[in-house]
Amino acid sequence: MTQADDPFLLVHAYCDGELDPANALAFERRLAADPRLAAERDRIQALKRAMTRLKPAALPPAGLRSRIETAVGLRRPAMRPTWSALAASVTLAVMLSSAATWSVLAPSRAGLVEDEVVGSHIRALMGAQPFDIASSDRHTVKPWFNGRIVQSPRVVDLAAEGFPLVGGRIDVIAKTPVPSLVYRYQKHLISVTATQGLGAPPRERVADGYHVIGWTDGGVSYWAVSDVGVGELEKFVQLFRAAPTDG
Amino acid sequence: MSDERTRFANVVLPHLGDAYALARWLARNDSDAEDIVQEACLRAFRGIAGFGDVNARAWVLSIVRNTAFTWLKKHRDPRLIAVENIELVEAPGPEEDGGPFAGPSSPEASLIERADAARLEAAIGALPEEFRETLVLRDLQGLDYRAIAEVTGVPIGTVTSRLARARRRLMAQLGKDTE
Repeated sequence: MTQADDPFLLVHAYCDGELDPANALAFERRLAADPRLAAERDRIQALKRAMTRLKPAALPPAGLRSRIETAVGLRRPAMRPTWSALAASVTLAVMLSSAATWSVLAPSRAGLVEDEVVGSHIRALMGAQPFDIASSDRHTVKPWFNGRIVQSPRVVDLAAEGFPLVGGRIDVIAKTPVPSLVYRYQKHLISVTATQGLGAPPRERVADGYHVIGWTDGGVSYWAVSDVGVGELEKFVQLFRAAPTDG
Repeated sequence: MSDERTRFANVVLPHLGDAYALARWLARNDSDAEDIVQEACLRAFRGIAGFGDVNARAWVLSIVRNTAFTWLKKHRDPRLIAVENIELVEAPGPEEDGGPFAGPSSPEASLIERADAARLEAAIGALPEEFRETLVLRDLQGLDYRAIAEVTGVPIGTVTSRLARARRRLMAQLGKDTE
């Protein structure tokens, strides 16, 4: 038996969801026929569950982040904000939008909006919480937006598909407050930002290691941003667009 | 603000938490972990132009683990540090050769599942470095096999066998009653 089809090795890939559907099905037949193999699967799953109970990893000490930022020149020793670098793109956009050069630069406006959308996602990851309201219930999240911005976004429930809603937040893109929904996929977060009148989103892009997928629906542009694999993000976008609209 | 700095802030800083967690698991010591992460970040900053815009997290973690191994070699007794091909040096013990398994699994599986967190953490800490980093990347940081292969610089087959051997050790240890 080669290593590649040693069932006692494959059972780990099976438990980790690393087998494609055809191989997973074939493996399930082997599991059904071999009690020793099934017992190994039970032990592995028990171990994986035990590991989820370990206390969450300690946060990096505050001093570490500031030492690193100082070392690479992101902050002067006594300066406070972590935000300086990230705020740069916002400042730039504000400058451009008020400048007479606007018409010359207009074609790259979508690029600037994209920078801000990705920047908002990154800022959200770095904060204490990636959302302003934490809720897995779309009937809580949607009304929360209603009280704060003119148009509340389309909120769909994708928990059954493996993308639970975790909350919502308001981002400021091109000086306009816009809604962002936050979904989770395994340990990754996905931000969905909705904009209007800020240009068409890109169909699919990579920016600073984040995948961005955009689409337009009923005059609203949607931007999905995440560090999940592009395949997962595409699946998410498909599900999001196909999900029934809430009332 | 230079492009490199903005890029560093966007690519590296969001993964500082994961970087620190991995360094702690590899170094088993908070202050060493801090030194390792700081050095890794400086390396990442110098190499930011070489980042290929694919998987920022895997890229950052690979720099952290490479820095950790260099750092630990320099600062600790080299005999304590894992060798490159641990699979060749370490003969599989009887508890991890893939079978035979004694008896029905359910009592053992439930012992494993109820294992005390401190005991589990100590058992993970006692694994050989290569097994430990593979297990931590998969089960605590949630990377898939392909990303782990990228971070640790080994083929996916090696990732699978390291993971299997790490888990077999833990299962054998936790499946035994403490009495």
